[in-house]
Amino acid sequence: MARKRFVWLSAVVLLFLPIGGLFSRAFAGTPGGAEEIMRQSVLVQFYSGNDMKTKVTMRLLSKEGGERVRELIMARRNVKTGGDQKYFILFRQPADVRDMTFLVWKYPQRDSDRWLYIPAIKLVKRIAANDKRSSFVGSDFSYEDVSGRAAEEDNHTLLREEKYEGKDVLVIKSIPKDEKSADFGYKVSWVDKGNFVLWKEEYYDKRGALFKVFTADEVKSIQGFPTAVKRTMKNVQTGHWTEVTYEEVKYNLGLADGVFSERSLRNPPKELAR
Amino acid sequence: MKCFAAVALSAALSLYPCASVLALSLHGFVEGAGGFRLKDDPAQARDATMEEVRLQVELSQDGPADSRLFFKADLLGDGVEERWDADLREFYLDFSPAPVIDIRAGRQILTWGTGDLIFINDLFPKDFVSFFIGRSLEYLKVGSDAVKFSLYPGLFSLDLVAVPHFTPSVVPQGERLSFFNPFTNRIAVPDESLPIRKPAATPANTELALRLYRTFGSYEGALYGFRGFFHEPVGMDPANQTLFFPKLSVYGGSIRGPFLQGVANFEFGHYDSREDRPGTNPLIENASLRYLLGYERELWTNFFVRAQYYLVQMLKYGGFKASLPPGAPEMKEYRHLLFLRLTRLLRYQTVELSLVGFYSPSDEDGMANPQISYKITDGLSVASGANIFFGKKDFTLFGQLDKDDNLYLRLRASY
Repeated sequence: MARKRFVWLSAVVLLFLPIGGLFSRAFAGTPGGAEEIMRQSVLVQFYSGNDMKTKVTMRLLSKEGGERVRELIMARRNVKTGGDQKYFILFRQPADVRDMTFLVWKYPQRDSDRWLYIPAIKLVKRIAANDKRSSFVGSDFSYEDVSGRAAEEDNHTLLREEKYEGKDVLVIKSIPKDEKSADFGYKVSWVDKGNFVLWKEEYYDKRGALFKVFTADEVKSIQGFPTAVKRTMKNVQTGHWTEVTYEEVKYNLGLADGVFSERSLRNPPKELAR
Repeated sequence: MKCFAAVALSAALSLYPCASVLALSLHGFVEGAGGFRLKDDPAQARDATMEEVRLQVELSQDGPADSRLFFKADLLGDGVEERWDADLREFYLDFSPAPVIDIRAGRQILTWGTGDLIFINDLFPKDFVSFFIGRSLEYLKVGSDAVKFSLYPGLFSLDLVAVPHFTPSVVPQGERLSFFNPFTNRIAVPDESLPIRKPAATPANTELALRLYRTFGSYEGALYGFRGFFHEPVGMDPANQTLFFPKLSVYGGSIRGPFLQGVANFEFGHYDSREDRPGTNPLIENASLRYLLGYERELWTNFFVRAQYYLVQMLKYGGFKASLPPGAPEMKEYRHLLFLRLTRLLRYQTVELSLVGFYSPSDEDGMANPQISYKITDGLSVASGANIFFGKKDFTLFGQLDKDDNLYLRLRASY
């Protein structure tokens, strides 16, 4: 059933993707149009395929020259496209977190359920980190940056259209509807007119000063899904930045819902771990 | 077993150069740790509570059909006990004879339940001495020689553990930390020790533990059963001046899930002290009902608060009170324990400040453990903290440790 719905959905998405660019000009002028663009952008960034698995390398860099590396395997399954998702993460590096696993059941409308498994004491811990703004594994990416922020949480305005590194982009300003729901006062996004890829995003703090910049440094088409395989988040106020590489990205592996469970936390199955 | 661990360790180390060729995963760390007393303790001959260097080796090898062999052992130079030691922490085989069955056989660390440092239905051995002297958290748990069957039929999941060979918890016995001698009714003097008798390794003494669990939306529910022994020596045999582990059965349950922007948990257990069901034998711990209520929340970004309330209600209290010999420590019917953990993460989560506190209003005792840890690089970390104990009476859990306040420092390099 889920597969049928997926095939149907991808057909619709595929149909609309090429002509999305044509529509964007038409609906970009209204606030609703800008929201629709951001919604499409969230789908492209965080919901491509029915499920997905990738090896992630994060380099955490400080302006003093310090470098820390996190290597993990991340699997994701959409329970509902644009809605609930499940994430499974297996840490491979550094040594103090190696073999730790992390399970997230994400709900756009309420706090995620999160579990962390600590292999040294075989403990499955429930994480109360309801703050989506917390840093993900000490990087410049917040939980929200990794798993997505629903377009409905912000008010969006189209600022302009321009060229970004040779591509036609729409520049959209987003202000959180609930000030407390975000660590930014507003953000500005550069969204590809053709395929809704997010090329760049600037986050401004509550006083209006720029503090974080996201860039998609390399986007590849994998199984037909545009995928940012290299991305950077830079904190311009501290000079700390994080470079992320996605390798061995695969979509539509047919991961079962039951795989995102305590059993996998304690004993990661090959389909998630390798 | 120690000899085996030492041999296996050296074999593992000699494998290091060819680990990548064999597709073997080889990791571990080298750690130096020291700790000393903050107060003069007349019951203790040494000022050091910890003086050790350890090498941990962890090996894992994937086999056919989702099987895996896992080995973890420590080689330890211990200045306090003035000896070298090998400690086989874990050594087990994982395999799945069917898609819905996982089996783990061998020495393994077992953990379940919802408490933070408070255990009701987790009746697997612990090393409380390690915890009280400031070793890293992983040393709080001790491996059991066991077979664990995990079944996943669909609607629920089931863990069934059989432990044929009893492993006790490690409790203060005078070597590093003071203990209350119930035969003499006072804190033991230096070099005083009490023999502890372990249950014989017979088929009838095999411990069984069971957990039945499933999720209900965001909530996790579990039922537990246990048949075995107390893991702390709460039985006294005056004829032989010996402590022992009385027979115990436990039935309990737990629930955990989101609550008021945080996570709440509730766990309970009925402790059936099978060798003293009427509660009239003051030499054996009475049956009890135990309840734990916990709540955790990220109060603001990177600042976590966890609070717990633990209640032990002694059953057959009338029997206990009537049979209590004059002068013997009088336990209360209700033991209340409050727990608080504050955690603050700083500098891209490389610095962690934490404070763990226990306080029992009924026993009038408690402890505090402030700690700071810093990940200097990905492979190098340092942690320092203190364990401060207080108590009005010598026979309570923290009261007996009143003079054992200690400061510790650990430095670890991982590979």
